[in-house]
Amino acid sequence: MADLIKLTGLQRYYEVGGETVKALDGVDLVINHNEYISIMGPSGSGKSTMMNMIGCLDSPTTGTYEFEGEKVHEMDDNQLASIRNRKIGFVFQTFNLLPKLTALKNVELPLIYANIPKDERLELAEIAMGKVSLTDRMHHKPNELSGGQRQRVAIARALVTNPSIILADEPTGNLDSKSGVEIMSVFDELHSEGNTIILVTHEAYIAKHAHRTIHILDGRIEKDVYNKKIRKKLNKKKATA
Amino acid sequence: MVTYVESVRMALTAIWGNKMRAALTTLGIVIGILAVTLMGTLISGLDRSFEKSMSFLGRDVLYISKHEWFGDSEWWEIRNRPDLKVDYVEKLKDQGKYVVAAAPVAMRSVNITRKDEMAMGISLAGTTTEFTQTAFMNIESGRFYTEGEDRSGARVIVIGYDVANVLFENENPIGEKVKIGNYVFRVIGITEKQGKFLGMFSLDNRAIIPMGTYQRLFSRRGWMRLEVKVDDEHIDDAKDEIIAIMRRLRGLGPEEKNDFAINQQDAFRQQYQTMKIAIGGTGFFITVLSLVVGGIGIMNIMFVSVKERTREIGVRKAIGATQASIMRQFLLEALFICLIGGCVGIVLALGGSFLIDKFVFPSTMPVSLALISLILSSVVGIVAGLAPSYKAARLDPIEALRYE
Repeated sequence: MADLIKLTGLQRYYEVGGETVKALDGVDLVINHNEYISIMGPSGSGKSTMMNMIGCLDSPTTGTYEFEGEKVHEMDDNQLASIRNRKIGFVFQTFNLLPKLTALKNVELPLIYANIPKDERLELAEIAMGKVSLTDRMHHKPNELSGGQRQRVAIARALVTNPSIILADEPTGNLDSKSGVEIMSVFDELHSEGNTIILVTHEAYIAKHAHRTIHILDGRIEKDVYNKKIRKKLNKKKATA
Repeated sequence: MVTYVESVRMALTAIWGNKMRAALTTLGIVIGILAVTLMGTLISGLDRSFEKSMSFLGRDVLYISKHEWFGDSEWWEIRNRPDLKVDYVEKLKDQGKYVVAAAPVAMRSVNITRKDEMAMGISLAGTTTEFTQTAFMNIESGRFYTEGEDRSGARVIVIGYDVANVLFENENPIGEKVKIGNYVFRVIGITEKQGKFLGMFSLDNRAIIPMGTYQRLFSRRGWMRLEVKVDDEHIDDAKDEIIAIMRRLRGLGPEEKNDFAINQQDAFRQQYQTMKIAIGGTGFFITVLSLVVGGIGIMNIMFVSVKERTREIGVRKAIGATQASIMRQFLLEALFICLIGGCVGIVLALGGSFLIDKFVFPSTMPVSLALISLILSSVVGIVAGLAPSYKAARLDPIEALRYE
């Protein structure tokens, strides 16, 4: 099977007031299926650009980006929209639910853009709501839900198309610590069910949930390490082999 | 297909979420559509009552009188023209080969009394029996007078429908006596109800007596016109012929201008066409103006809507909305706002035309106009929505998601 994500020599430059900002300056990275990754870095390090790039919201200036073998760097707007729809589930810091729609409708939304008929849409949305254990809150609007519940709705929305990766940008940034723990356990569970998860965060204790942490600084990967537990597991595997 | 249906639903949801704003925005469209449909109703009503009035003036009847109906001759010029004479009629009939019938009509305003009842301001016409051919009227009961009665100056009278109603409530007027001044007349006929002529004067508010009687009792001279019914296949020839006969009767030299006027239905028609164009033009102007203003209002509110929902657009794009689907969503929103306005306008216009029909004159709202209105409001919606929708579709998802 092809690598899930393969970035090669990826650069992203911006022109800001006549100056060139090198948000990403030569990134090589491979991400495999069912990895649990956190991307860390101080603000201005390029981690947001990195996330937008992985999320197919942005296109590289130079370099290549292959997503399950598809050449993302050559895609036009419509193809990018389609790959975002089918392969990527976004979870945002500020939830970004549509306030006028019920939780269920919010979860349904990506399926509408995937052209899935109504009955099937409803069924899939309900299953996704079940995965984040919110079946009793499906017909509430976002402002009738707590922060933790809202983020769970957002996670359900990210899950509903059964994407190849779930991309979460500071998912606990707007939550109290209790809800934060709750949300992180949802991610842990999703990972154990076989999903690939990428967290962008600057909190070390959040990053610890991931099995692999990528540190970004000045548009480059500074450090790319497996967490201790995983290292041990990998070593064990090597030893048995 | 799914996305189309959903785009419609999204657009309607967005409008419903901002009911007040949508209602106010679409007001311009409502007024525009109301203007165009009511104008259409009005013109249809005018047309109808005009045609009805015109049916009293035969297409093939020429009216010879001192003044032109819609002329621009100076009043003193008309005043100095010689009066028309009753004996012209015989000469026209003798000499004109296209003349079918001709009647002199003299008129004055009188009060008709019967016991305590009085009908005031009745136009009394003195004419000959051929009036039944030149004028368009039917006798409802009784009869018209005979040539003998005309020649002998019999004191008989044919009264209009309204006159009969005023003087003889629930009674049969035939054979009864009425008085004009001190002269007593015997009622021999009643004309059928005809209604108003161009909404100005009633044709039911008149009475007709023999020409001989009229001249003997009231006046030998005075205001008179000649009504000449001609061969309806040669109306223009007949007109030329009558002008020639009249000029000969008046002894006019080749250099001199006509000192009489020949009027026909066409004069009214031309006048009416001009008026109709004026009304239609004004209506069109108001409509275009309010639709343009309405369209600008909608464009404005759509820009606001796009700005307000920048984040929503970002989210939608992140989860897979294409530019086309965002464009469609906002375009449909603008379209529906306008269509709702158009429908409200049509409903109001239906009410308005019902009132016009009931209280002003018989009229109906043309269905074609309602359809045109709907198409028009759709066009306004789409045109007004284009720029805002394009802007929404082109938003960069990263920027949009970051928008506060």
